[in-house]
Amino acid sequence: MTAPHARPDASSLLTAVRSRDPLAIARAITAIENRTSTGNELAVAVRGQVNGCRTLGVTGPPGAGKSSLINALVQEMLPHYPRTAILTVDPSSPISGGAVLGDRVRMAEHSANPNVFIRSLATRGHLGGVTRMTRSVMDLLAAGGMDLVIVETVGTGQSELEVAELTNVKIVVNAPGLGDEMQAIKAGVLEIADILVVNKSDLPDAARTAAHLNAMLHHRGHDEHRSVVCVSTVTRDGLKALADAIEIKFAQLAADSTLAVPRTASARLLLARAVADRAEDMIARTVDPRIDVLVEDIAAGLLSRQDGARTAIGLLGELRPVSNARD
Amino acid sequence: MQDNAPNPRVLLTKSFIDSHDRAIATIALALRDAAMEVVLIDYEQPEDVVTVALQEDVDIIGLSFMSGGQVETTQKIVAELKRRGVDDLPLVVGGVIRPFDVPPLEEAGVREIFRGGAPLADVVATFQRLAKAYRGYA
Repeated sequence: MTAPHARPDASSLLTAVRSRDPLAIARAITAIENRTSTGNELAVAVRGQVNGCRTLGVTGPPGAGKSSLINALVQEMLPHYPRTAILTVDPSSPISGGAVLGDRVRMAEHSANPNVFIRSLATRGHLGGVTRMTRSVMDLLAAGGMDLVIVETVGTGQSELEVAELTNVKIVVNAPGLGDEMQAIKAGVLEIADILVVNKSDLPDAARTAAHLNAMLHHRGHDEHRSVVCVSTVTRDGLKALADAIEIKFAQLAADSTLAVPRTASARLLLARAVADRAEDMIARTVDPRIDVLVEDIAAGLLSRQDGARTAIGLLGELRPVSNARD
Repeated sequence: MQDNAPNPRVLLTKSFIDSHDRAIATIALALRDAAMEVVLIDYEQPEDVVTVALQEDVDIIGLSFMSGGQVETTQKIVAELKRRGVDDLPLVVGGVIRPFDVPPLEEAGVREIFRGGAPLADVVATFQRLAKAYRGYA
């Protein structure tokens, strides 16, 4: 059988992406996510493009209503951002590597709108709430003419903070009844929020949850400029207020160019993470017998993981480079 | 877990009006356990299925029918695939498929029909085979 996905080279794919061909955009994202050689070339070619558009991160615990909120919010924001992309991330199974990507079920309102491009991504073992290649995919979407890119993370706990480095404005979605003041003052995902959202405000506990979050903000004193917004996608209460609050944050970015660069991003941190990713790949997939010996010793309890890691780092430079996924 | 060949991407879908979702959930889990990435949607218009399939760059579409519309819906989706230049994207159908649905479905180009009781292993193997042939790494 002939492959109808005749693999176009990176430059013809990029031309089609720039002309906003949705299928080309989709296939380019696949190539980038699969880290094929075409994908790597594309990622390099579009690097930094995302700085030309607005980016919004949406995070929060599983079931908080992130997907439904995005579905409702996009309707409010579309007049200002005619071409909007949504990346929605769900976890891959650590056992099979497969995934059920179900966020789109909540976004059916926009399925038929050619100006809303939605793509579901699986984490494929990457921690941090997004995928390893999310930044490059965002660059590509910007190259495809998107005005706004929304990134929905996996349902997060307290430490999936990578979205903070990827997006200009972050909203953290909370559901009523999860936790008390103690949860609200813990370090983690609440700290990266530009706007705290209490979703499902039609439910009885919403006011209490909002009060806990407001109390946390109050504790932080005069330097704290963030706000809590209560919304309901059922009654549509608060959606306009949330869209306005996001607009204000975007406007502040434009006024203060130093904020346009995500503030926690540091090249050193990004390098460290890329090194760790690459090292993980090499150790997991190499066939070098010296690594096999370390693995067996650790499995047999003869060697501690820390000592094994020290030896393995010494060997990294000598391992055969691991080939990426095929095109 | 990314090894050499990427995991197949699959779109499974049923009409939003059809609330019988046990079958589609069963298939989604079986495909997930076979290392596939499964996108789920409930469509309002048959044409929406194609828009989503293109954005998600899937390798195969599975349609579930537990009430009506088997033939017309499938024909509309096939026509839209053709219109958008991806008529070779494989399409399989499952659920309540009556004997007289079979000839028009086959004529429309449906690659496989699964009825209740089809062994899950066969379903998974068929998705696997069609997806890989489409993507060109069979």
